[in-house]
Amino acid sequence: MTPVLILALLTGAILFGVGIYGALSQTNLVMIMMGVELILAGALVNLVAFWRFLHPEVYAGQMFVLVVMTVMAVEMAVGFGVAIARFRAKGSVEMEEAGDLKG
Amino acid sequence: MVVQAFFVGVFGLAAIGFGVAVFRTASMVRSALALLFSQAAVGCMFLAMQAEFLGVLQIMMMATEMSIMAIFMVMFMMDPGGLGGMDMSHQKRFSIGAGAIAAATAISVALFSDWGPIVAEAPDAAMQTRELGFEMLGRSMLVFETAAITILTAMIAATAVAIPVRQPGVDTGKLDKGNGDKEQEASK
Repeated sequence: MTPVLILALLTGAILFGVGIYGALSQTNLVMIMMGVELILAGALVNLVAFWRFLHPEVYAGQMFVLVVMTVMAVEMAVGFGVAIARFRAKGSVEMEEAGDLKG
Repeated sequence: MVVQAFFVGVFGLAAIGFGVAVFRTASMVRSALALLFSQAAVGCMFLAMQAEFLGVLQIMMMATEMSIMAIFMVMFMMDPGGLGGMDMSHQKRFSIGAGAIAAATAISVALFSDWGPIVAEAPDAAMQTRELGFEMLGRSMLVFETAAITILTAMIAATAVAIPVRQPGVDTGKLDKGNGDKEQEASK
């Protein structure tokens, strides 16, 4: 067991936990997106560590990293689109005020 | 391997430290910058793990993404500098518990799993980039094309959501009037 792999996995795990805290605790839409970005960053660290230390000859691991980076970009684009629409409609991106779809 | 462990550890600590700083400052701009530094530290971890192409890509992408995020913060927030010290969080205890449980679960999986034999040497940067190119345009072509179409769809969808809905006789595109002004106008 290499300490570098474990170090990277621990970093990914803690980033994941910090991201979960941020996504659940923040009331601002952009801050929630920041939490999600940290969660995905944790996943990226794990993926690169698995590729590097377990299967460096299989480049599907790096391809998977590119897919997660795509998800990050898509999340940002759609999130900001929703934020702009919300700001236009209500003048705020505070999610505590967004109860429009409650039954 | 010791030098690699040192740099992975240092950049990992930096990524975590800046990640925590994102939610500990009242200033939205500082939050965006802290996230930028955290993501850049993650990119440096990739470099330390000899994934050069991915490291450079991560740093470049996140520098752009977080700069845009900082601009949006200034646009959307009443107090982007955090001078008022406004608290924008809720359900803190539940969030801390959920984050701690998630991190503890992932840490225990990392520590107690048998990951198998470790490969000491990685291919050099030129070989990695070449092989990744063959992977993207060979076996993973469908995944690569799907990711490209997904980004294009998201760009179109985000633009469609963001542009104001135009209805005959109703001007919904102006932002210069707040709700208070509109109410005053209605009362007149």
